[in-house]
Amino acid sequence: MKGHFVLNRAHLSYWLRQLRKDADLIGPLRSTDGDIIFSSIENIHDIELDCPASIPSPKEFIFPQKEEMFRFSDKGVSSKSNGERRVIFGVRSCDISAIALLDRFYGELYEDSFYMDRRRNTVFISIACNTPDPTCFCIGLGTGPFLKSGFDIQLTDLGNRYLVQAGSGEGLKIIRRFRHLFQKPEKTDFDDQYEAMLSSQSGFEKRITLETVRQKIITAKVEDSFWESVALRCFQCGGCVYECPLCTCFNVVDWKEDKDKGVRMRLWDTCMFKGFTKMAGNVLPAEKQIMRTKRWYFHKLLYYPEQFGKFGCVGCGRCTITCPGRIDMAAVANKLD
Amino acid sequence: MKNKNRQNRKGLYLPAKVEILDVVDMTSDVKLFKLERPKSFYYSPGQFLMVSVWGAGEVPISITSTHEIRKDIELCIRKVGAVTSALHSLTAGDYLGIRGPLGNRFPFEEAFGKDILFVAGGIGIAPLRSLINLVSEQKEKFGKIALIYGSRNPSEVLFLDEILRWRDEGIDVYLTVDVKTDPWKYSTGLVTEHLSKQRISFKTCHSYICGPHVMIKAVMRDLSLMGMPAENIITTLEAHMKCGVGKCGHCYTDGKYVCTDGPVFNYTEIKQFGMSNP
Repeated sequence: MKGHFVLNRAHLSYWLRQLRKDADLIGPLRSTDGDIIFSSIENIHDIELDCPASIPSPKEFIFPQKEEMFRFSDKGVSSKSNGERRVIFGVRSCDISAIALLDRFYGELYEDSFYMDRRRNTVFISIACNTPDPTCFCIGLGTGPFLKSGFDIQLTDLGNRYLVQAGSGEGLKIIRRFRHLFQKPEKTDFDDQYEAMLSSQSGFEKRITLETVRQKIITAKVEDSFWESVALRCFQCGGCVYECPLCTCFNVVDWKEDKDKGVRMRLWDTCMFKGFTKMAGNVLPAEKQIMRTKRWYFHKLLYYPEQFGKFGCVGCGRCTITCPGRIDMAAVANKLD
Repeated sequence: MKNKNRQNRKGLYLPAKVEILDVVDMTSDVKLFKLERPKSFYYSPGQFLMVSVWGAGEVPISITSTHEIRKDIELCIRKVGAVTSALHSLTAGDYLGIRGPLGNRFPFEEAFGKDILFVAGGIGIAPLRSLINLVSEQKEKFGKIALIYGSRNPSEVLFLDEILRWRDEGIDVYLTVDVKTDPWKYSTGLVTEHLSKQRISFKTCHSYICGPHVMIKAVMRDLSLMGMPAENIITTLEAHMKCGVGKCGHCYTDGKYVCTDGPVFNYTEIKQFGMSNP
């Protein structure tokens, strides 16, 4: 089949080592605290091939938590480009689905140059999820555990080998450059991938469909008392927003380094904070927590589908892991379903 | 073509440096800034700019001048926060950064042949002034034109000379203040108390409203009850903004971005989001 290859497991580290020669190789590592984090890879063997979801999501490599927009001085402004080539390995299907939606958000109408420059220089190698986490619910949203499209390269772990699928021209390029490592797939490889997919699909503990929730909200079947009960449990930590692979909001601040020069930065921001919508003269349009809670859920459940035809949630389960009040997307959906 | 796109992309967040040509004190806390207009910078009434003061930050400010009439750009700015305070310390010859023009504009062609009612409260006169000056240039295209302008007290009335000139040119002007001090020869009371006094045809009239949140809400509701079609009741909204181009999420309300879907909305749209919230 076109765009399909087989990579011997023993050849994976060699291939990654070759890719690292002209790009920054980023992948999942286990931090000293035991968390999974995406980071530049020093030692290929440190890469975690079978691990739970990273915290935070790899979105920080295309939309960093903190980034310089430009420098200013009395002479004017100057901006450097984000042209460094990167290969991000070991990304989950849900995160790839999220990035496909981020591409539309930052790329459509007005193109966000900071995001798109990084995006154009990044190739993702994702691994289909053979063993979903207990917090995962991508299966109900069609954003995983295996993807049919939207990826650059998708690997399926078949034990002693990987089935490799190229989903974009960029992906195909970095396979073709090392074509001697890849073989043509046999029918058994596809059969094994199908087996792996079925086994993964049966491993989901959470079965959530957000469509029922959406229908209930638009037909006004969810009363404010429900949102009030959700809002009551919110600690306003912003964790759900920071960990969400689809939350895109940012703040902009000027940092003065000297009398007449400095840097304009942008940083992740969260609509869970009261001051997020604060206007001139200390007017607070979303003073009550319930308004901010509704805003977040309505954005993801109603307005994302309106604008993009897709939910603003990929079922990665990070808000479930993060929320100290246990009022994450899965919990809300479960209560309303 | 590709290069052109690239330039536009880079321009998205990079402000252009412009010189302040003049600063006029309007009231104790409002100043009118006259800026150099960059080449090929075209704007329409209702649009806004993101204005930068290096080190202080960036804020959305509506344009109060009219492109067809003036060669510069005028911004009417009240000192309310960190950035506007920094702006107020600038004088002629200083530079600031601008991005824009951003947002949509007041639809006014559909008001041709019809009456027009402007309702302004406080500094809400600023974005409307851009449209009033454009409309008053071509008065023959419209029916009756009226303006109700409310201020807290006589010392806070903005653009008084210009308003009196509009009156002399045939616009029905109603000035009102919350608290009367001498000498004040016009009305007192809220703008809503003066709506029914207008001799205009409410059923076909187009109205443009800007002022404090509560005023906009009350005026829109009253005009609608008086029979004005919701599509003809038009306002411009204020919101916290960091980017002005639909990315930062701060002005996002119920599926709409005030910056790119607005800031100009009609009452039908307003009822669907934002202000209809508790």
